[in-house]
Amino acid sequence: MSDGAGTARVRNANPRQLRRERRKAGAAAKRQRSYMDYGILFIVIFLSCFGLIMIYSITQYSLSMSGLNPRQYLNNQLRSMIFGLFLMLFIGFVMDYRLIQKISTPIFIAALCMIPLVLSPLGRGQVNGASRWLYIFGMSVQPSEIVKGSVIIFTAAMINKRRYLLQSFVGVLTVLATVAGIPAAMLFLITDNMSSAIIVCGIVFFMLFVASKKYWHYVLLGGGAVGAVGLLVYLVRSNVIDAASDFRFARITAWLDPYADSSGVGYQILQSLYSIGSGGIFGKGLGHSIQKMGYIPEAQNDMIFSIICEELGVFTGIAIIFMFMILIWRMMIVASNAVDLYGSMLVVGVMSHLGLQVVINVAVVTNVIPNTGIPLPFISYGGTAMFMFLAEIGIVISVARRIPVEERE
Amino acid sequence: MQGKLVVLFILVLLAFVALSVRLISIARDNGDDFKRRVLSQQSTTAINIPYKRGDILDRKGGKLAYSEKVYNLVVDAYDMNQDGGAHIEPTINAIAKSFPEADADEIKSYVNEYPSSRYKIFLHNLSYDEISVFQKLENREVSKEEEKAKRTIAGVFFEEAYTRKYPYGSLACDIIGFESGAGGVFGLEEYYNDELSGVNGRQYGYINDDSIMERTIKPAEDGHTLVTTIDSNIQSIVEKHIKKFYDTYKDNHRQGAAADNIGVIVMNPNNGEIYAMAGYPVFDLNDPTNLNGVDLTQYMVKDTEETPASGQEGDQTGEVSGNSSSDASENSAPQNNAAAAEYTAVGPDGQVYSMTRQERTDICNRIWRNFCISDSFEPGSVMKPFTVASAIDCGGITGNESYDCGGYLQVGNFQIHCHNRLGDGTLTVKQGIAKSCNVVLMDIAFAMGKDEWLRYNRIFNFGQKTNIDLAGETAASALTFKEDMGKTDLAIASFGQGFNTTMIQMAAGFCSIINGGYYYRPHLVSEIRNSEGAVISEINPRIMKQTISEKTSAQLKEYLEAVVMSDPSECTGWSARPAGYTEGGKTGTAEKAKRDGINYVISFMGYVPADNPEVLCYVVIDRPNHPAQSESTRLATVLNRDIMTEVLPYLNIFPTVELTEEEMEELDASKSEFSENARSLGGETVSGDEAAANQEEGEGQESAPEETEGGTEGAESGADSAEEEGTGVRYDPETGYPLDPATGEVLDPVTLLPINGNTSDIVPIGAGESVAAE
Repeated sequence: MSDGAGTARVRNANPRQLRRERRKAGAAAKRQRSYMDYGILFIVIFLSCFGLIMIYSITQYSLSMSGLNPRQYLNNQLRSMIFGLFLMLFIGFVMDYRLIQKISTPIFIAALCMIPLVLSPLGRGQVNGASRWLYIFGMSVQPSEIVKGSVIIFTAAMINKRRYLLQSFVGVLTVLATVAGIPAAMLFLITDNMSSAIIVCGIVFFMLFVASKKYWHYVLLGGGAVGAVGLLVYLVRSNVIDAASDFRFARITAWLDPYADSSGVGYQILQSLYSIGSGGIFGKGLGHSIQKMGYIPEAQNDMIFSIICEELGVFTGIAIIFMFMILIWRMMIVASNAVDLYGSMLVVGVMSHLGLQVVINVAVVTNVIPNTGIPLPFISYGGTAMFMFLAEIGIVISVARRIPVEERE
Repeated sequence: MQGKLVVLFILVLLAFVALSVRLISIARDNGDDFKRRVLSQQSTTAINIPYKRGDILDRKGGKLAYSEKVYNLVVDAYDMNQDGGAHIEPTINAIAKSFPEADADEIKSYVNEYPSSRYKIFLHNLSYDEISVFQKLENREVSKEEEKAKRTIAGVFFEEAYTRKYPYGSLACDIIGFESGAGGVFGLEEYYNDELSGVNGRQYGYINDDSIMERTIKPAEDGHTLVTTIDSNIQSIVEKHIKKFYDTYKDNHRQGAAADNIGVIVMNPNNGEIYAMAGYPVFDLNDPTNLNGVDLTQYMVKDTEETPASGQEGDQTGEVSGNSSSDASENSAPQNNAAAAEYTAVGPDGQVYSMTRQERTDICNRIWRNFCISDSFEPGSVMKPFTVASAIDCGGITGNESYDCGGYLQVGNFQIHCHNRLGDGTLTVKQGIAKSCNVVLMDIAFAMGKDEWLRYNRIFNFGQKTNIDLAGETAASALTFKEDMGKTDLAIASFGQGFNTTMIQMAAGFCSIINGGYYYRPHLVSEIRNSEGAVISEINPRIMKQTISEKTSAQLKEYLEAVVMSDPSECTGWSARPAGYTEGGKTGTAEKAKRDGINYVISFMGYVPADNPEVLCYVVIDRPNHPAQSESTRLATVLNRDIMTEVLPYLNIFPTVELTEEEMEELDASKSEFSENARSLGGETVSGDEAAANQEEGEGQESAPEETEGGTEGAESGADSAEEEGTGVRYDPETGYPLDPATGEVLDPVTLLPINGNTSDIVPIGAGESVAAE
């Protein structure tokens, strides 16, 4: 995608280093080997394949009912997954993550530039009143997903170079405002995509939190954010703010009482709860979801978790959460053992990204927080997100491979 | 930094744990509720798959009724209106082309008027061939332009249904009944409705035990097939002869039908299987409400108890006669009825009947009614064998007694007369039955007593349903004698007056008298098969009880044989005997409840062969169109003979008696004989009227519930007796008394003077009058 040019340059620029790496890898079998976290690799591939199965299970019925190829969504996702896996392997095993630091600024700027492009003729798809897609060479690309990735890269570089800024609260606010504020504001104002804006802010917030030695800055910031949201909810609830003025306010009222408008704003979230509840502990069996037959709109996207729970039960849902937990745990290990701060920060960024998306996604489908459209990593349908997550995992693998491992013999 | 990482991880971990708890709580707390909600918002469209109603077969496997798959044309206006209504024109053109009977304009206006309608049936009962024309049009290759303009056929589909067919039309209509939309009506169709009906199938989505949605087809369960004991050939023989009877005696004496009602049962006395059961008129089972072509003459007479005199002025009382077709059609609708008449029906001879809506409904219900099981009447002398059998079986008499008949018996204040007012002198029990002597029977009944008579009445199942497998059977239990019957009641009951029975009660009881005392439940269905043809239930002959001992039965058979096989001067039923066979039986002539000595129910119960009964035929004619109904018993015996003559060879029952020359000739001419008889009868109505006049003379004096089988037989029987005897002197076939060659009146064998006042002896009866209403 946008970083294609960058990767190409990296490949050409470091043949020597690559050879050295290969030699090292071959020798490591006997003497010293680079750290390879198979757990991460396995879980990512597993979750991606699981996502394919669920997407097929969910979409084949409605696709075949409308006379389309029932594997259409499966094929799209599979294509993104294969490209993403190649990119992941390339970044993880071929490329040195340290190179990324050098090109992080151009990547960040390029990603930001993609956001306004959705208003150009390239961005055709009007979804929910906002154009969030770019159509390039017949492929649809979601700039917001690319922005999330680029923010991780850029923030990590920023922290690596200007860690001193984190000493003061003002410095933290400055970094937040530039690194998170600009893309978040662009995403929110141009594409009307608040969920991505929240994710971007969250990623930067947690990266700064880990990089900094201070707690109270973040407690203050986090408490402020929670307080602001609480105030908003209170105002909406007490009708100071008219819930009808914005669909987001309406979503807050729907969150508070989904039954109040069960066929309107509360519909999707209620149907999601019905799915989870009707599935029970062990579910109705793979492919036996009723809710996917048109009751949950776009069930293969943000609401895929509720269908997983309906078909395979809450047991499987928790198992999936547990998998993400292990993934994040492995990333934590990698981050704390990374050879340099940049690598560490990259992994923290990916970890934050992953954790935030999983938590928010599951919280939405269980109506813990108001409805907002966040896909479940690796599992939800969406080519760009899949691609970007696999690329980010590639970065994590790349960082992990630099960790020296002592000989076991 | 490491610490911060751990903090971050713990934060995420806590969030995950919290979400997991939330997930579990949703599933646990709301699981069932949400499960229901998920199911309740399912809008599953279920498609009905109709079941096929079971066939009704006759005993040889011929189909009396079956269901045929047909198709209904259903218009989906919503579909047709898609694509800007481009489908409408080609679709309606195709419908008009394929189904000439379809009203294209009507469909078009409907589609325009109700564009959201998804289901409207426009044509019913289309055959597969008919719809395949349309389907070919629908599935043909469409040109590119048509495809582009969406000018394709849409919005029409065919729904499966079944229609009931009765290939024989009116054959056995009273037995079979018919199928209305809501199930069987009358007869076997109603009685066995549950067996014949299947269960509709459905194409639907259902939720299985695991709350999994499954879309399946539950095929229709077809109804069961009935194999009946009806024999189509015997049934059609019976119906043919009934029809012949009606044609012959129509307007014979009075204007109107040959009889008010007629019933014939042919059955196997050894197992209760009914071979045939018929009444008149018949109707087309395929279209039971269509009265066109049905002979309604007997229903158009308002007053069924009319005297011949008033009958001739029938037009004034709204009677529609049909003796001449062209005249009838012009004059048929009486002036005063013309305004009220909403419906008309054209009879078989072209006569037009007009009726009001209510009349039409009544007539339909009377036609559909099965006389043989649903109507009760006073059985008359056919009851006599029952009385004798009871008396012998209970030890009241031995059968060796002899009685003196003086022509009447004084019972209390009443003189109850015998048909032969001169008295028959000394008679044995056998002679008493053969000559149908009331006095002998009264004496026998007194010998056994009221209690025993009533006990046997119950044993023979009178007043109770026989439980024949037909809908609409009546028990007539209110019209039977109870414990409070008096001596007079017993006296008249002994010869079958004063209480009511149904034909099937009589036939079933009579079977037990002649088959060794075994009372079989009369039945029509011998086997029930499922839709694959496997037998799922075999209905074997069921012995309900032993009515009389085998010895008594053998004794009775001897007596009953004497009724038919004795010398014509010694018996009443000789004319029932089919040539070449031995037959046993009993005649019956019951005076109807009005006791006017005019209106009678005549009947004959006969079985062949006399020693080992194989087939039983019971004929009942209610109020025959005959100048002297009390003398017309021969109509029943002859009808019995005609039916037996055809049925016996068909059942492979071989003649055992050598045929006389006359009988040979008679057999050869059996077809033409009947009509000749009819002609001679028609030509001699004058003498018939005389007989009627005689009857009226005697009417004023008395009105008794009386058997009056003696006396004049009428001119037509005179002719027959002459033929039989081969001499110039004619004898009355029932009493054996000589007949006056000129008038046909019965003469006293000693004085050779006409016996006067020989009809309708009046004995007012107490309970009988009220009880014996038919």
